[in-house]
Amino acid sequence: MRTSLKWAATLAIVAMSPAAMGAGDPAAGKEKSVPCQACHGEDGRGIDPTYPVIAGQHADYLEKSLTDYREGRRVNPLMSGFAANLTDQDIEDLAAWYASREGLTDLSHAE
Amino acid sequence: MHRFIFAVIAIATLQATPVLAEGDAAAGKIKGYTCMGCHGIPDYKNTYPTYSVPKIGGQNIAYIEAALKAYRAGDRKHPTMQAQAESLSDQDIADISAWLSSLEDGGES
Repeated sequence: MRTSLKWAATLAIVAMSPAAMGAGDPAAGKEKSVPCQACHGEDGRGIDPTYPVIAGQHADYLEKSLTDYREGRRVNPLMSGFAANLTDQDIEDLAAWYASREGLTDLSHAE
Repeated sequence: MHRFIFAVIAIATLQATPVLAEGDAAAGKIKGYTCMGCHGIPDYKNTYPTYSVPKIGGQNIAYIEAALKAYRAGDRKHPTMQAQAESLSDQDIADISAWLSSLEDGGES
């Protein structure tokens, strides 16, 4: 019994951890998003079709993208420069902000 | 004889026309069937490292084209995406991009 309780507790913690990882504050992210808006637009949909829509994207994917730019695993003349100065907290906040906007969808509705 | 010359000129003109990869969303929907395997499952996760597979419905057309071409050229790294993009022609990429960008964003399609 005790063992199964421990398992249940472990599973509960594991299940919760993705949410805990997304420790970003959307309101702070909105404030930090001013430089982003020059290309991605005020609404995160891009000022023209060459810039990606980031509104509605998964927060953890945005975090990965920004981290990859910062660490040089992904290279783009604009993004590499912007991401270079971001802290982990900045990245989490920005990701939380754009993930909270309406925008991109998965393809489960695209039948 | 005149007809023959016209035919030659017509064919030469057609061939000289640069191949503009104009995307066809209907063709892209068919070609993009494979995309659904990952991008069509809500909250589907990439593994090693673990992160959510990005949403691409309603993404901007030129960005998708650039992303697929970067994967195809190996300039952008992701094993599955590089393998998928490798087999795509410019026309395939234009069609798939036209399809994805035609999907309404904001949860409706």
